[in-house]
Amino acid sequence: MVGYTLRRLIQVVFTLFALTVLVFVLLKLMPGDPAVVMAGIGAELEVIEGIREELGLNRPWPVQYWRFISGLFTGRLQAMTYHRSVWAVIFLRLPATVELGFFALIIALVVSIPAGLLSAIYRNSVLDYSVTTIALIGISIPVFWFALMLMLIFGVFLRILPVSGRGMSIALFGQQWLRVSFVTWSGFRHMIIPSVALSSVLMAMNARLTRASMLEVLRQEYVTTARAKGLKERVVLVKHAFRNALAPVVTNVGLQVGTLIAGAVLTETTTAWPGIGRLMIEAISRRDQAVVFGLALFIAAFFLISYVLVDLLYAYIDPRITYD
Amino acid sequence: MTEKTGKLTLRDVVLSLLLPGLGHLARGWWGKALLFLGALLLFGVTLGLAVAKGRLAWLAGPSDYWFSTVMMFIVLAATWALALFDMHRMHRARATEQYSFGYWSMASRRFSRDPKGIVGLLIIFLAVHIAVFAPFLTSGHSFKGVPGYYKPVQHAIKMDLRNFRSAPSSEHPLGTDNYGRDVLDRLIFGTRVALGIGAVATLLNMLLGGFLGLLGGYFRGVSDAVLMRILEVINSVPFLVLVLLVRGLWIEGGILSIMLILGIFGLQPARIIRSEVLSVREEDYVTAARAIGVPTWRIILKYVLPNAIASLMVVTTMSIGVNIIVVAGLSFLGFGVSEPTPSWGAMLQEAQEYMRTAWWMAVYPGLCIVSTVFGFNILGDSLRDVLDPRLK
Repeated sequence: MVGYTLRRLIQVVFTLFALTVLVFVLLKLMPGDPAVVMAGIGAELEVIEGIREELGLNRPWPVQYWRFISGLFTGRLQAMTYHRSVWAVIFLRLPATVELGFFALIIALVVSIPAGLLSAIYRNSVLDYSVTTIALIGISIPVFWFALMLMLIFGVFLRILPVSGRGMSIALFGQQWLRVSFVTWSGFRHMIIPSVALSSVLMAMNARLTRASMLEVLRQEYVTTARAKGLKERVVLVKHAFRNALAPVVTNVGLQVGTLIAGAVLTETTTAWPGIGRLMIEAISRRDQAVVFGLALFIAAFFLISYVLVDLLYAYIDPRITYD
Repeated sequence: MTEKTGKLTLRDVVLSLLLPGLGHLARGWWGKALLFLGALLLFGVTLGLAVAKGRLAWLAGPSDYWFSTVMMFIVLAATWALALFDMHRMHRARATEQYSFGYWSMASRRFSRDPKGIVGLLIIFLAVHIAVFAPFLTSGHSFKGVPGYYKPVQHAIKMDLRNFRSAPSSEHPLGTDNYGRDVLDRLIFGTRVALGIGAVATLLNMLLGGFLGLLGGYFRGVSDAVLMRILEVINSVPFLVLVLLVRGLWIEGGILSIMLILGIFGLQPARIIRSEVLSVREEDYVTAARAIGVPTWRIILKYVLPNAIASLMVVTTMSIGVNIIVVAGLSFLGFGVSEPTPSWGAMLQEAQEYMRTAWWMAVYPGLCIVSTVFGFNILGDSLRDVLDPRLK
């Protein structure tokens, strides 16, 4: 197991390396110059040149690439258009996204798992049809439009929830990277719309997955055996079926990190939530190559490591699986 | 009861060519006749509208749309081909009196009994018809505006600043946007853009991803390793973020560049085809074929591809929906279809600013996206049930 984990981690490092090269080349080919953005409208040519010199934009590509990579590892790489280091920019924005993603996930699981289980147990009933139809509609709804509709209904028409922004937030223990908003009433109210919107896709996906997995388990012979020996249906379901049905659902949550981040980019832009999703869009439009580079590396690392963890978790939950 | 003549008579061919489904009707195959005729009824009504309003040449539209338009006509041609093929198959079954219980005939029987698939098909047909006949459905034809303007898009593209953000009325059934452009007209033309990009990008995905997956899965070795590494790198950032980055350096490219970017980077099908091929190539019949010296290309065409085609169909249908959502997301973020070409995502972006005063700008484009994508998803879902009965 240790050998397998090590091999996977080495693979992750190589993938990340290839990704950074890809992202770097894309950034360099992109039209638009961060120096021009920084200098502002109508700046002198010398000023722009000075900024280019300062940012190292006039050096050869390999040198710039090395600057980015080494700068990220030492933490000294400065963002080009924000007056902070890249990591500071990212970690200032990170807690908002983590908070949002976490609540979206909780909402999604709390709704989708019971819905999926019930719809599998009462298969072909009205309940089942409504759950599967709603789930199908759910995966067809773009998160940003869902967010817009929630804003329209609860913010504009009913006026019971704030339309956008993050509200009041508190830095736990005085640490900026632990700044959370759900602890305050205003922050909590601001969070409802974006997290419900973000959870919609996860909800639909998980409900479908839970249903499929539960149906699969109910077909197994041990369930038939359990029924045949006269156990109460409730005992069969709770003791024999639920646990086995939920294993793939739980591990799949790790694989949904990607959906969550892509959804966060859109939801945060829609609801003006100051997280890393919105940072990504901002940095791309401001041509801040350093921030985009750091953010892409960060997201990819997060992503790949969660994949490895999922594989390990799967082996832990299901002892039949070994990787060596 | 119809007679058991085997041959596909000239009459049936002509009937089917005349109107897909007519041949079926003549034979008393009601269910299928209704399906094909229903699709063509829509076609006929909209075409009639086209002729009534005068200009068939409008169908082509300005250069922006030619690509999407071509795609739409391919879909319509496919309806004809399908009807003819279906006639042929059923005739053959009657002729030999061997009602086939093969995989495909079982699947098609299951499909015609599945309401989900029919609903999906109907939604998609409706969307395709709206896209093809867009110029005749819009109100722009009656606009006596600037000469030299392409008439059908007058209201969709031409600004009318006196009427900005006016609420739904008889003149503008779904209201107007911030520049006084008719929301309904923009939605109708947006259908072309959404379906066109979705279909072309998915076609590219399938060709490229299918080819790579086949290569990797069948030949293993170096090509497989390279493919898997590429997929891993591409999958390590969310698809939307990757597309945003690539789109950043080709922002001027218009619709064609979005099609290409989505088509090239959406390599997900490769993974599915690969795993399918991996399992098929170990089957005894493939080994047997290889042992008697059947050339590799023939093995792939005859044994491997037909087995992969079922999952390919499901993936294709679903990924058209996914691509439509991604394009809408891109346009919403300002990285997609650029003004003044109407697209659902960009309309939502504009709507966001004026939500307090103009709800109609935000509601309708989203409804279009949801219903279209729902059509593809429900069809894909039904195809999955039908083609893979093990999952039932």
